[in-house]
Amino acid sequence: MISESILEGEKVRLRPVEERDLPHFVRWLADPEIARWLERLEKAPTLEQEYEWWHDKRGDPESVLWAIDTLDGQLVGTTELRLTMRADRAELGISIHDKTHWSKGLGTDAVRLVVDYAFEELDLNRVELTTDEENARAIRCYEKVGFVREGVLRQHRLVDGRFGNTLVMSILRDEWEPLDRGDDD
Amino acid sequence: MTTAPPVLQGERTRLRPLREDDLPLVVRWFNDPGVRHWLHQSDRPDATLEVAREHFWRPVAKGRALAWMIETPDGQPVGTLRLLEIDPHHGRAELAISIGETEHWDRGLGTDAIQQALAHAFDTLRLRRVCLITDADNARGIRCYEKAGFISEGLLRSHRLRYGQPVDMLAMAVLKEVWENASA
Repeated sequence: MISESILEGEKVRLRPVEERDLPHFVRWLADPEIARWLERLEKAPTLEQEYEWWHDKRGDPESVLWAIDTLDGQLVGTTELRLTMRADRAELGISIHDKTHWSKGLGTDAVRLVVDYAFEELDLNRVELTTDEENARAIRCYEKVGFVREGVLRQHRLVDGRFGNTLVMSILRDEWEPLDRGDDD
Repeated sequence: MTTAPPVLQGERTRLRPLREDDLPLVVRWFNDPGVRHWLHQSDRPDATLEVAREHFWRPVAKGRALAWMIETPDGQPVGTLRLLEIDPHHGRAELAISIGETEHWDRGLGTDAIQQALAHAFDTLRLRRVCLITDADNARGIRCYEKAGFISEGLLRSHRLRYGQPVDMLAMAVLKEVWENASA
């Protein structure tokens, strides 16, 4: 489903993905430097494929999808929780598609909001993710939020014609300090 | 698209394509408490034919999974083995096995069946990696997977619920190059 919840952090606002966002995603995902880190993309999607993706997500009760905006309203990426409710867990996915906004802490802020939503609103017990072992920027972001390394899946993904490892990370509910959402500052 | 896998003949087992009329048996196994204890979905309500068709049969019918019935040499169905999430691009798949007839546990049937399935995955499907996850306290299962060449890649903390309590799970995988050297 497309999340109805708008979550506001210190640097980003998470809001429902809308159809008018899709052409921006298509443009960004055509950039190999972006697609390189996205495991499920074999090649850049067309607008039609991106519409289908969005449409499927809207009908999928096990997915919660947000667009990531800067606080002044610029779209920069997407983030998603893929739920396994019978096990009280979810898998987190995130991408800052607009690389002019990389290394500004937007991803860290967005991940914090989503993890907080998973534990405090959805009452889950575990949030997990997988990432390319060579994606040092992403791993640093996840570790800042509190994710710990659980294992390395050997030769798990084909990137640029060679096989790379995938890192598995997670954070548990009792490791999470709820965000203070009552204050304006 | 329905892709029926080939019959695979092992030393102690024979794997034949799972059929829709096997589902009542699959349901009976799922609802056996001794079997269900170790299943990833053990906290689901009792299985029905409808549930089995949805979760067990549909991925096969859609061509996204291969499923076999494991039989003893004299033709008795004893369990199921599936290759899931088959991904030709990344060259990988996930293996799921359950021996439903508990009096056939500890006889090496699982190990034998897994070896046939790995040969199919690596030699016929040309995959390079087969993974699985299992409960970290499932010593019988882990021993069997290790015999077949799987090694542990990580411990997934509180990954599922059993009787409402979080259970750690082990992520394991076998790579083609390792498997070939071991079976050569």
